[in-house]
This record gives sequence, C-alpha cells and structure tokens, in this order.
Amino acid sequence: MSQAITQRQSVLIWVWLAALMLLGVLLSSLHLPHRIVVLAVLGLSTIKAVMVAAYYMHLKFDAKFLTVVAAIPIPFGVILAVMVLLDKPWAR
Amino acid sequence: MSQAVAAGDDFGALGIPSGKLGMWVFLASEVMFFTGLLSAYIVLRMGHPAWPGPGGHLSVLTGTANTLILICSSMTMALAVGAVAQQHAKWTRLFLLATIVLGVTFLGVKLHEYQLKFHHGIGPSTNIFWSCYFVLTGLHGIHVLIGVGVNAWVLLKTWDARFWTERPHLVELSGLYWHFVDVVWIFLFPLIYLL
Repeated sequence: MSQAITQRQSVLIWVWLAALMLLGVLLSSLHLPHRIVVLAVLGLSTIKAVMVAAYYMHLKFDAKFLTVVAAIPIPFGVILAVMVLLDKPWAR
Repeated sequence: MSQAVAAGDDFGALGIPSGKLGMWVFLASEVMFFTGLLSAYIVLRMGHPAWPGPGGHLSVLTGTANTLILICSSMTMALAVGAVAQQHAKWTRLFLLATIVLGVTFLGVKLHEYQLKFHHGIGPSTNIFWSCYFVLTGLHGIHVLIGVGVNAWVLLKTWDARFWTERPHLVELSGLYWHFVDVVWIFLFPLIYLL
C-alpha cells in the first residue's frame, strides 16, 4: 500500500473540498456574466478533483507512472470534446 | 506504511502494486466513459437555445446537500485507508461502515429526487435536458451502488484474520474507486445543478 495521509490531513482536505464547493454554489447564485460563472465554477471543480486525486487517491505520494496513467485519458477527452464543438452546435 | 500491510501486495516490474496499477488503468477507461457523456452533454447544451427548457428546475439545496454527503464519504474512506495502514481493525470497520452509510444516503436522496420528478410527470423522455439528467445521474448512481457493494464486501472481509496479513490493500483499491466516483460528481453537480 502507498503512504497514507494523516487523519488531520484527511479532515483538512475535506474542509477545503466543502468550502470550494460552497463557494461554487455561491458564485452561481450571484448575478455575474454567465461565462465568468462557468469558468469560475468549473475551475473550482478542477481544483477539487486534483485535490482528491493528489491526496485521497495518493497520486502525490505514489509512483509518477500512476499519474501518467491517470492523465492519459484527459487529452483524449479534450480532443473528443473540441472535435465535436468544432461543428459549432451553438451557431445553428 | 507498515511492512505487514505492504506484504499483501504483488509488485510488478514497475515496482508498483499490480492491483493498484490495474485499478488505475480501469479508472482511466472510466474517465473516458464519463468524458464522452459529459462532452455530449456540453455539446447538446450549447446547441440548444432554451436550456433547460420548461420544467427544467432542480433543487440546488438538495444537490448541495448530496454533494456534501459524498465529500464526507470520501473523507471517511481516506480515514479507513489510514486506519488499515496502521492495522486498526476497529477504526477501519467504523470508517468503512460510515462510508457505506453515506453512500446509501446519497442514493436515497437521489431516488427521492427521481420520485419527485416522476410524481410531477417528468421523466427521461420529457426533453433533452431531462434525458441528460437521468442518464448522467443514473449512470453515476450505478457507480455509487457498485462502490457501496464493494465497500460492504471489503468490510465483511475485515473479520477474516487472513485479511490483515494477505489482503489489507483491498481497502485502498476500493477507496480509489470510491474517490473516482466522488470526482465524477464534483463535475456533474455544477454542470447539471448550477450552470
């Protein structure tokens, strides 16, 4: 098994995850331009996902090869989305 | 990490526990699965002029509460991994049980939400938003259900004395799957409920 994080770290990460989630909910309720809200909320989601992967899933402490395995599908996913979005579905 | 715990793992040529490497490869395929679904959701949404359309209202309060429940379950799962690493049987069982209870609570809230929608005549065929909603949250819910089942199986295994010498890494493997389910919801929640 990999190096486990301490109980204190586990709780601290949870506090951050909850706080960032609530910040996202708050931002989405404000009357800000939609594009800014989308960028901010999805940015917060990305930060939360990285925190879970790094600490709770131990990627920060495990062999870097596992980070590569975890990251491989991300560019494929981006390519997948960009290729479909190039069809400009919003312009119809 | 104690040597007793490490003894449960098989190491391949890369020096990485085989079970963990296998789980990460599996999770990578799951990332592709959900990325495809989320890409489809984004494209459908951008191509639809009046999203989410009539009746497209979801309770942000319910979604927020359920997200907090899932985040709490991730913490208890991380605590279970920490406890098994220190060979604390009692705490390992307690945190695994807490994770299972929180997972079941998440599913209960989700089923209640479905029930309310069905009661108001809303279903997967109502419009494209609700089709996306039921497909995305339904498939995520199935993953949560599988995670609850795997955690329950691992919890039962902890009463077997051989578990602590041969297979303690099962807690970490089931934990990886559980955290992945949490990561998927971290993106699903804002996309469906907030934006």
